[in-house]
Amino acid sequence: MSSPSEENPVRTTLEVADLQVSVAGGLVAVQDVSFEIRRGESVGLVGESGSGKTLTCRAILGLLPATGRIDGGRIVLGDGADAVELTGARRSTWDQVRAVRIGAVFQDPASYLNPSLTVGHQLAEQLRVKGSLSRRAAHDRAVELFDEVGLHDPAGVFHQYPHQLSGGMLQRVLIAIAVSCEPELLIADEATTALDVVIQAEILALLRRLRDTHGLSLLLVTHDLAVVAESCDRILVMYGGQVVESGPTDQVLRDPRHPYTQALMGVATIGSWHRRRLDVIPGQPPAAGEEMPGCRFAPRCAHATAACESGPVPVADLGGDRTSRCVLAGHLSLSPRVTTGQEVPA
Amino acid sequence: MKTLVALWRVPSARLALLVLFGVGFLAVFGGALAPHDPLQQYTDEVLQGPSAHHLLGTDYVGRDVLSRLMEGTRLSVVGAVEAVLIGGLLGVPAGLASAWLGPRLEWITLRTSDTLVVLPFTVFAIAVAGTLGNGLQQAMVAIGVLISPVFFRVTRAATLGLRKVQYVEAAELMGATEWWTLRRHIWSKVLPNVAVTAAHATGSALLVVASLAFLGLGVTPPAPTWGGMLSSDLGYLAQQPWAPVFPALLMMATVGSLNLLADAIRDATGATAAPRRRTRPAVAAAAREERPDVVTV
Amino acid sequence: MTTTQERPLTTATTPDPPPLLSVRGLSVSYAPPRKGTHLGTGAALVEADLDIRPGEIVGIVGETGSGKTTLARATVGLVAPAAGTIEFAGEDIGGLRGRARRAFRRSGQVQLVFQDPLRSLDPDLTVADIVREPLDIAGTLSRTERHERVRESLRLVGLEPDEVLQRRPRQLSGGQRQRVSLARAISTRPRLLYCDEPVSALDVSNRNLVLNLLEQLRTELDLAVVIIAHDLSSLAGIADRVAVFYRGRIVEQGPIRAVLEHPAHPYTALLTASAPSIGDEDRLRPDQLKPAPDARVWPADGVCVFAQRCPFAHDACADQPAPAPLPDTPARLAACHDAVTWRDRLSARPHEDRKATP
Repeated sequence: MSSPSEENPVRTTLEVADLQVSVAGGLVAVQDVSFEIRRGESVGLVGESGSGKTLTCRAILGLLPATGRIDGGRIVLGDGADAVELTGARRSTWDQVRAVRIGAVFQDPASYLNPSLTVGHQLAEQLRVKGSLSRRAAHDRAVELFDEVGLHDPAGVFHQYPHQLSGGMLQRVLIAIAVSCEPELLIADEATTALDVVIQAEILALLRRLRDTHGLSLLLVTHDLAVVAESCDRILVMYGGQVVESGPTDQVLRDPRHPYTQALMGVATIGSWHRRRLDVIPGQPPAAGEEMPGCRFAPRCAHATAACESGPVPVADLGGDRTSRCVLAGHLSLSPRVTTGQEVPA
Repeated sequence: MKTLVALWRVPSARLALLVLFGVGFLAVFGGALAPHDPLQQYTDEVLQGPSAHHLLGTDYVGRDVLSRLMEGTRLSVVGAVEAVLIGGLLGVPAGLASAWLGPRLEWITLRTSDTLVVLPFTVFAIAVAGTLGNGLQQAMVAIGVLISPVFFRVTRAATLGLRKVQYVEAAELMGATEWWTLRRHIWSKVLPNVAVTAAHATGSALLVVASLAFLGLGVTPPAPTWGGMLSSDLGYLAQQPWAPVFPALLMMATVGSLNLLADAIRDATGATAAPRRRTRPAVAAAAREERPDVVTV
Repeated sequence: MTTTQERPLTTATTPDPPPLLSVRGLSVSYAPPRKGTHLGTGAALVEADLDIRPGEIVGIVGETGSGKTTLARATVGLVAPAAGTIEFAGEDIGGLRGRARRAFRRSGQVQLVFQDPLRSLDPDLTVADIVREPLDIAGTLSRTERHERVRESLRLVGLEPDEVLQRRPRQLSGGQRQRVSLARAISTRPRLLYCDEPVSALDVSNRNLVLNLLEQLRTELDLAVVIIAHDLSSLAGIADRVAVFYRGRIVEQGPIRAVLEHPAHPYTALLTASAPSIGDEDRLRPDQLKPAPDARVWPADGVCVFAQRCPFAHDACADQPAPAPLPDTPARLAACHDAVTWRDRLSARPHEDRKATP
């Protein structure tokens, strides 16, 4: 990451530097991923499946799959005296970090709850173990939290089992559990993908509100550019295991500096969404471990030149907090209006 | 065929297959290759130890132990296989029908299988031998009937899980008959389970044949079987303490191999459904998916 | 029965062709209905009326459990309707049973593409076997004709037959699997194709690919396509008409553009307002369409299905309104007492959306 932010008085919640993750015995799935999340900021991590976005957030949570390994880089939570290095952290460190300093919600809320215990019990349990509250206090706090995440009749929900609640309500319960210990960072990995649009909008609004009231930092991982567009201050676009573009959301969406971001905007719900065309990004993304000397998007890129494929493309710092991993980033303004049509040789 | 190739790659399965092939060979050609007539009594060479003339020695009436083992393989193995075939033929169709053809049949088959499970193996075999007369066939039919509930349950469990699977529903929507669906979609999922069960069941049937022979049931005495040999050897333990070792070893090797094979089949066929083989072909497939595609409407 | 042979291309240029599929008063109930004719709370679909015309793409939207999949399953005969009729090309197919139903299914005129190809394709079969299966079951074509039809179907969905014929579903990528699923459905040359959430399991880059494909198939095979989706965005670029489901009822239907740009039912408005989008300022916000925290509490049953969540509900809403044509555009139907007037009562009050709806 750029050095100016070090002197910045704004405090950092999470810093990821040069993260490398490999899966299945050495297939590189995440490479040179660097970003930071500042206090109270919401960051969107966008990419297709296989782009490495989920592995990145699993690495932050120390929940890599059995075959996954961190090969390099640093993940630091907090700054100053609170800073904790998470790469290679021990079990005891994780116990003080997960669910306490980092909360997480995932796509399928039902599978993260015990079906044979009431949801209130599960939240109270968390409060008693991690927050050292008494039984009474834990109950009261749980009801308070349920109310805060927008559940009707929080005291009634306390005594309900997961199967009695709808998907949207379960996701709210999980969010309540995730924020119960006042974490600094909340990671939402495709947390709204499986929900209906109306509920999705409600959950996103809830996450925004929690960020404001609790001073949380938010990492929103999704494949849908439109989801982050409305909810995030900054976005990181991942492709083939690398961050290809980052910057403030409105700037990136107004003036994308990487052809992939631009292509994603073409296929996402852009502009007045019911008048859109059905654009397609031709080809398929590279697989984990696929060797590519140059830009990983080059085979699918409308602007690719021989130079793109010959050697590694460095991250270009475009100033104003924006970066792009494209050789053309500085020279060419890739206006979405002009090129969304994808003039790719058919 | 593919499953066999996959099996061959597993070392334990390869060992098991080699042993079973040997046993199978003995079962077919053992009698012909035996150095002596297994019933020939060398009266002056009773209870001898291994020698050049009798490689594994002789028994209490002077018969050649090696020849008897080789000849006995056929009766023991054929008996066990017959029992398993009968069990499978009774249990598998019943299992399929019970899961597929509606609640009434389900009730009847379930109760029948429950009843059979309650009956103790050996006692039932003895009872059958008592009523139908003593003989290998009768004993095997009895055992076959008794192990059929195992096949029934395994088949039924595998089929029940498939009843509501989407590709079965899709076939129904294409207008497929029940018979088509069974043949096309169900059978290939049930077969590995049946194979595993068959391997296990053959092992236990071998032991039952042996124990029945040990008790003097099934095969009538002069004819050699592994169990019969064990039983007669036990009477002369004082003179030949090592004698029961040979039939017992052969039995252990066979049953052990069958169990190993069963486990290997389960692993090999289970692996086709699990992600082990998935990564590479999927990657290749993804990479090969055509590039210049439909671009815009 | 014309079965799987080529259909003569008789797209007459009459202004309003008779509907291919006509659903009238269809009700489906999963729980046994209570005494009498009244449907209990187990009703999954209540008095649905829907017409699908030849060569038309109709989108069906609604949240989980709103009855959209039930409609598809009832039309193909996977669930028995409690009431109502389903006519396909003038023939009543709702009452078909046993042999007659099997014969109709074998004709392959109506096909259903399931949501998850990984579950709806037999993992042990090759693509060749999978795509040929409906033809094998029907048994009307010769062996070579079937093989040729399989290759043709695969080409139609944009797959190279020689590359995929011998593969199994697990050896394909997600987008390819969905296309194999489509190839199987079109191998009988259907006239009506149901697609249940065809793109919800796919990545953005494959999503539009499959949607474009449906559009292309519609023109090439003169198919009528019904696309079931839980979000409007995947329908927006492709469907001609849309029907919006809410709790077992069709609350609004009409030409997609008119419905999306000017929803007549408050629920449709909420749907369009909630859809995430990039840079669209001139639209309603979800919080404008939610009842105030102190609003009147409506019972769950016996009133308008949307009353509980409707900011405009008033006394008349104690009765469920029947779908009625809008005064200015008769092609549009909406089941709302205030279809024309609710917009006037839109307030600019921005109250934070606080409560989840159960």
